[in-house]
Amino acid sequence: MDELLSPDGSPRPAARELWALLDALGPDELRARQRATEADILTMGITFTVYSDGMNIDRAWPFDVIPRIIAADEWARVERGLAQRLVAINRFIDDVYNEQQIVADGVFPAELLEESANFRPECRGVTPRFGVWAHISGSDLVRDDDGTFYVLEDNLRVPSGVSYVLENRAVTKRAFPEIFARQDIRPVDTYTDELNRLLASLAPEGVRDPTIAVLTPGIFNSAYFEHSFLAQRMGAELVEGADLVVGDDDCVYMHTIEGRERVHVVYRRIDDLFLDPEVFRPDSMLGVPGLMRAWKAGNVAIANAPGAGVADDKCVYAWVPDIIRYYLGEEPAIANVPTYRCMYDDERNHVLEHLDELVVKPANESGGYGIVIGDRATESELAQCATAIEADPRNWVAQPILNLSTAPTLIDGELVPRHVDLRPFILTGERSYVTAGGLTRVALREGSLIVNSSQGGGSKDTWIVTDRPIWLTEPDIDIDTEPETVTASKRATAWEQRQAGQQQVQQGDGR
Amino acid sequence: MALLSRVAGRIYWAARYIERAEDTSRLVRAFGELVDDLPEPPPDRDAADTTWPPLASVAGGDLGSEWPTDEHGVVRFLVTDRARPGSVVTSVERARENLRTTREVLPREAWQVLNDLWLFVDREADRAVERRLRDRFLGRVVDESRRLDGVLTSTMTRDAAYEMWRLGRYLERADMTTRVVGVRAAALMAASHVDGRGHRRDHDEVHWMGVLRSLSALQMYQRATRGPIEASSVVRFLLYRASFPRSVEGALDEIERSLANLSRSDDVLAAVGDARLVLRSTSPMVDDGEDLDGAMDRVQLALADVDRALTERFLRIDGAG
Repeated sequence: MDELLSPDGSPRPAARELWALLDALGPDELRARQRATEADILTMGITFTVYSDGMNIDRAWPFDVIPRIIAADEWARVERGLAQRLVAINRFIDDVYNEQQIVADGVFPAELLEESANFRPECRGVTPRFGVWAHISGSDLVRDDDGTFYVLEDNLRVPSGVSYVLENRAVTKRAFPEIFARQDIRPVDTYTDELNRLLASLAPEGVRDPTIAVLTPGIFNSAYFEHSFLAQRMGAELVEGADLVVGDDDCVYMHTIEGRERVHVVYRRIDDLFLDPEVFRPDSMLGVPGLMRAWKAGNVAIANAPGAGVADDKCVYAWVPDIIRYYLGEEPAIANVPTYRCMYDDERNHVLEHLDELVVKPANESGGYGIVIGDRATESELAQCATAIEADPRNWVAQPILNLSTAPTLIDGELVPRHVDLRPFILTGERSYVTAGGLTRVALREGSLIVNSSQGGGSKDTWIVTDRPIWLTEPDIDIDTEPETVTASKRATAWEQRQAGQQQVQQGDGR
Repeated sequence: MALLSRVAGRIYWAARYIERAEDTSRLVRAFGELVDDLPEPPPDRDAADTTWPPLASVAGGDLGSEWPTDEHGVVRFLVTDRARPGSVVTSVERARENLRTTREVLPREAWQVLNDLWLFVDREADRAVERRLRDRFLGRVVDESRRLDGVLTSTMTRDAAYEMWRLGRYLERADMTTRVVGVRAAALMAASHVDGRGHRRDHDEVHWMGVLRSLSALQMYQRATRGPIEASSVVRFLLYRASFPRSVEGALDEIERSLANLSRSDDVLAAVGDARLVLRSTSPMVDDGEDLDGAMDRVQLALADVDRALTERFLRIDGAG
């Protein structure tokens, strides 16, 4: 299915305004706006970092100016489903690090926990505030042919991309100001406020005005831009491991020009295993010795909590519907993709027999690496994949090949369909918050399903739109006219006027 | 809110680098204008080009025997060479790299100004060697550097981060002013001693106007002195006229003002006091012009001591609470 267009090629109700505008603007103006947007991105320094680029590590964020639109009532259902899902997942994490009731009740297999690469025995017996471990998550959603949203995976460790949600909106507002004036598009800007409030609510008992620090691996990390962005928007400190120290009192301090200053909440953007060389990898140069000690003593909150990744595993994923039913006594409000677990003989045999019809994924990799898409792989790739599955069945899951939905995307000046997914961000604490929309990622290559920015993907702004217009005024562009009755020359004149007007504005701007 | 030592260091250095880029740009531009106003030297194919090379020593560098000594060579050395620390292009790049990692502390527009400047400098650097484009290029660096100060002055909270920025700016400015005086003015004074014995050489005034222009000081000098442009009075103005913000004395005042807003800065203040004594001790050299270059070197060493004290107090991560 297409996100903006019905099968007959007409725009869906929520996309009508946009489509009329695109039609009125015409290809040249559209190209001009895409170019202006790219210039904005460069000037504003919206970047992401690619590991293998050597010196030139900081790249402009690839962006498509045509937004992806979701109707507000449809989104309300997704929002409810995601909030429910994360509440249940957090109950699960808290349970497996404490009583393990779900295992005792025979709902979740004990051996899965024992073998999980993301289960941290060091975290047993800890109960963080509100019983919440995965405070910030970014679940990947896709839509199949029938229009159903499916959760493809839950990113519970250090999900990234939310800064681009906010930045995409900022540049899109400049590209299509006409529409924002006329339509009710839900704002996305509130995220950082909500995040700030959530992090502050985690502070140790009795701290009224907590100091919050975003812990980044440093400038060479692909998400450094985002770490800086979030610290900036929250007025938090952006720290590297070397800026922090744990004192003899088991409290966390940062080195300031006034000496040591206490830190109460750490929003960490480094992996568990690098957090604390005293407990995890002793060779970690990114972490803070003693951080786990301080956390367990309740002197610092860490978000997401160490060990939260235990539920971020493509095997555990398969149990999430059961987890929701077990803890909440409710049916899942948002669907899981049917998932075959290669650890079980019957499911593995099914996978091996139907390799060419399935997507096979390693259970603990992110970033799109190691994925084999059955109907696109060569014979030898499939054979390699089968060997890998048999060698380590626990590490592999498979899902049916979903026909990812598409959205019109501007490629070389033409609007063409490209596959998209969606990563909303969910905050869970005392209450839940879901971003209005999320990060729409788009596979820019024709036919490709790989949307990761590290592998040639781009992104789009995502609009949650109520179909009622907020202003009932005469539109400044002739969108009410039937397209057939607008002659080419009449349109050209309208563009020329608009273009001239914009050029004047540019010159007046002194650029 | 307390300032991380690491962040303080990056802001301080971003400020130093952008001031260095601005001052070097202004110097090269003023020198180009000066050369335009002088009569062509007699054509002598065998003689080495002596017009431009002295400029390179202002940047504390030496062209070396490999480097071409003509105008383009010196401009590449000072402005566009990407491998040389201290060139305008490298300085802008380093300033940007430092601000990129402190974006959460400075107003966002500040980062955008510098990022924009870097994109421009990176794109145009290779063409900026040509005289025709050079002026526009150097002018833009000067303008954007000032715009950056404008953004910070008008939108930034007066916190420790702001003071670190000012410290970097003024320390670098004091240093650059002593370099211009040391190299350009010293050479001029020495030349008039040898040549003129009190008689003004042709074009002497044009040279001194060039020196003043390279520090954006011409108009203010004329307003302050209301007299002819005269060697020792120019040098006094650039070194001791505290009310002129590019003078060394004025920069030291600003540094003290910033230090007063920071805690436990006694050691750094003491170093500034020492630098002031060294600066004032140069007065006799200003009058007769002899060893002015050496005197300026001594001031630069005293300024380096200020940098050292400041690094020790604010930028070093200590183990103690």
